[in-house]
Amino acid sequence: MQHVKVPQDRIGVLIGEGGEMMREIESRAEVRLDIDSESGSVAIESVGDPVTALVAPDIVKAIGRGFKPETALSLLDGDMRRFELIDLSEQTRNDNDLRRQKGRIIGEDGRTRELMEELSGADVVIYGSTVGIIGESEEVEAVRRAVGMILDGSPHGAVYSFLEEKHRELTRGPDLA
Amino acid sequence: MSESQDDKWGIAHVFSSFNNTLITITDQTGAETLAKSSGGTVVKQNRDEASPYAAMQMAEVVAEKAKAAGIEGVHVRVRGPGGNGNKSPGPGAQATIRALARAGIEIGRIEDVTPIPHDGTRAPKNKRL
Repeated sequence: MQHVKVPQDRIGVLIGEGGEMMREIESRAEVRLDIDSESGSVAIESVGDPVTALVAPDIVKAIGRGFKPETALSLLDGDMRRFELIDLSEQTRNDNDLRRQKGRIIGEDGRTRELMEELSGADVVIYGSTVGIIGESEEVEAVRRAVGMILDGSPHGAVYSFLEEKHRELTRGPDLA
Repeated sequence: MSESQDDKWGIAHVFSSFNNTLITITDQTGAETLAKSSGGTVVKQNRDEASPYAAMQMAEVVAEKAKAAGIEGVHVRVRGPGGNGNKSPGPGAQATIRALARAGIEIGRIEDVTPIPHDGTRAPKNKRL
């Protein structure tokens, strides 16, 4: 049994039309979801195979952090898929700095975020004060490093060339050594 | 767990941080170690020690040894770095459990045993990602 907090405006997405989304998560991850729409707390209880139920908290958390339900459910598709959350409020000094850094990560018209998605292959969502990443393990790693670079104050150009390099590395095929 | 006595169960302790993954399979009391492995045994580069790929390979090796010792199934105790550090298990934890299951070891209960401070020492200042 595990508890996950979901913000008020994402509860609707988590439940879906007439509870559709909730039931899909329940059947695919073999869990039972107990959603309190007043407080936004979700209790997750495993009913079937405990191994498949392992990802359920991550799916709920991902939806709560602004991911599309389909993307969140893709966590079930493979062993190597990962969800990671970067809390920007911990990395920034104050509200002003948070706004500025968020803007830098998103980029002009969302260019930086889009490039991060395109070049790494992961899904990136910036919501509230968090950056969420869903993708294969190395993809997530690349995006995390890129976000770290931006937060450290690297110029966008440097981050793009880092991502280009990672892109070449990732598309060259698996390096199993 | 079930009818026959040779249905032996053990405990798989999985420690998974962002830098490494450690797997130790013990008997039910946790007193006797039957098999163990860590990231460094399967990969060359240090930064790959925590990767899910390494975790899967380790799990396969460990599962084989555990089966040789007569273990049919394991309860899993996952642990992240905990304490002042990261509270959630790293990337290797899930991969380990899945790989153990696929290697033909039955998975019983999964428990999170990450040490949580009841307000201990001051947390270190935030590191850059």
